[in-house]
Amino acid sequence: MKFILMMTAKKADWDEYTKWSKGDLERNVAFMRAFSKELKDSGVFVATEGLAWPGEAKMVHAGKNGEPITDGVFPESKEFLAGYWIIDVESPEQAYKIAARVSAAPGSGGKSGSVPVEVRPVLGSHADLGL
Amino acid sequence: MKYILLMTGTKVGVESYLAWSQKDRDAHMTVLERIAKELTSSGEFVTTQGLAGPEEANVVRGEKGGMPVTDGVFPESKEFLLGYWIVDVATRERAYAIAGRISAAPGPGGMPTNMPIEVRGFATYPGPGSDRR
Repeated sequence: MKFILMMTAKKADWDEYTKWSKGDLERNVAFMRAFSKELKDSGVFVATEGLAWPGEAKMVHAGKNGEPITDGVFPESKEFLAGYWIIDVESPEQAYKIAARVSAAPGSGGKSGSVPVEVRPVLGSHADLGL
Repeated sequence: MKYILLMTGTKVGVESYLAWSQKDRDAHMTVLERIAKELTSSGEFVTTQGLAGPEEANVVRGEKGGMPVTDGVFPESKEFLLGYWIVDVATRERAYAIAGRISAAPGPGGMPTNMPIEVRGFATYPGPGSDRR
């Protein structure tokens, strides 16, 4: 079963992240690298991506003639996707366990951030929605 | 340059989608499939993925000892990721144009959904998540 593990954060959280010490950043990145490697070594890794800063985000919708209309203004409360992992595991419990590990990644001051990680199955095809 | 096109919606939005007629849904999916096919032909397609419904979402936190704590309760306002496309395009404007086409996909009665699509690049700095460093 494939699951996606999503990390999201508000703009204020991203601003906070830029203030982390170099040591804290390095510890976090070292953890993330080791985490990805472990997923690969254990054969559950499918994909991972880290997204650019919210400042680069644009909302696009179609105008009357289908031309793109862009807007870069978001509410303060907006949760931006920071990054995700897709894993292929035997059970939801295994996905939750893996999500808990990345939630406990070292944060500011080396303490576990205990950041929330959203876990959801991904669809093999649209038919999986049961439509 | 790679960009991600994110489609999000609230639970209410997903419920109204589930209430569309089969014909409307088919018309919608036909256009999305055509867009994916065209992107494949033009060499701009990287990947696409649809996610399961919000009712299957859980938020997990690592407690002391690494025990997962799950919670499936979300505020009504929560924007769930419904699906995404990753495209590899020459310009940012091209990514916006593709997002515009997805936004213009037909909804109920064949009218464009006009759904907002969030467009963003990828991390090129050592941030959380990416293993492409």
